[in-house]
Amino acid sequence: MVDYDPAIIGRVFETTEPLQVSAEMVANFCTAIGESNPLHTDADAAKKGPYAGITAPPSFAVTFRNGQHFFQHVPRYGKQGFDAGKDVEFVGPIRPGDAITLSSHVKEIYEKTGRTGSMVFVIVRTTLTNQKSEVVAHIDHRFMNRT
Amino acid sequence: MPEDNSDLNFETVKIGDELGPEEFHLSKDQVRAYARATGMWVPRFTDDEAARKEGLPGMITPGNMSLAILSKLVTDWMGASGARLTRMGTTYRQPVMPDHTLTLHGFVTDKKDIDHTAEMDIWLENEDGERLVVGTATVHFPR
Repeated sequence: MVDYDPAIIGRVFETTEPLQVSAEMVANFCTAIGESNPLHTDADAAKKGPYAGITAPPSFAVTFRNGQHFFQHVPRYGKQGFDAGKDVEFVGPIRPGDAITLSSHVKEIYEKTGRTGSMVFVIVRTTLTNQKSEVVAHIDHRFMNRT
Repeated sequence: MPEDNSDLNFETVKIGDELGPEEFHLSKDQVRAYARATGMWVPRFTDDEAARKEGLPGMITPGNMSLAILSKLVTDWMGASGARLTRMGTTYRQPVMPDHTLTLHGFVTDKKDIDHTAEMDIWLENEDGERLVVGTATVHFPR
């Protein structure tokens, strides 16, 4: 059994200051990933789209930096910790002009035995909210610890 | 480039439909451009020598960039159909090294009538056919 304080599950440990998304940030991101969909790159074309303006590509949601104290709140087990992956729920669009806030909590801790031995997974959920208090995305960070 | 998939809809999507394969060369400069654009300018993503000092074989691609590349495989496939990518999960199995030819793959694994969604498996592999990043995605189609 993994040892942890059940009180940490679900408790928000950090909320960041809002970060303003600029048109330039979205444009640079599109260039960097080779995005050419006019809904993300062309203001005129995007005006006729479902959101009546440019939106960031969905994966822009994972570019926001976690709070300064993020990692000190992620429980660690054993010697090595790895970023094993992410599960992202894209709830709503992120647009230039939005101010995005990140709130994080430990969602789940569990142990798993694989072919390479025993591992502890720590799932940290970060919720992204815009200036209208609308949730735009949930990001579950999957950290793997070898015990 | 997004495909012209404006006739793609929930009814025409079939289990087994393929996304890609899409082959491309990932340059070190592209990885640096991503690191710069996303505020991830750290040595392991920008400089071979510095990455080796950290015990890596050379500079590596940020996991978030792999996630972005794979999500673009899905959104390019959706094209102008009006569908929406609602969920995506990725597992980083091995580091993705730039200056390699990579291939993106995917196929539809399931359809859910109630949700009007399609599920797919997606992955990114290297020249040796090793699946470096694997994942799943959910696409919601307009009714």
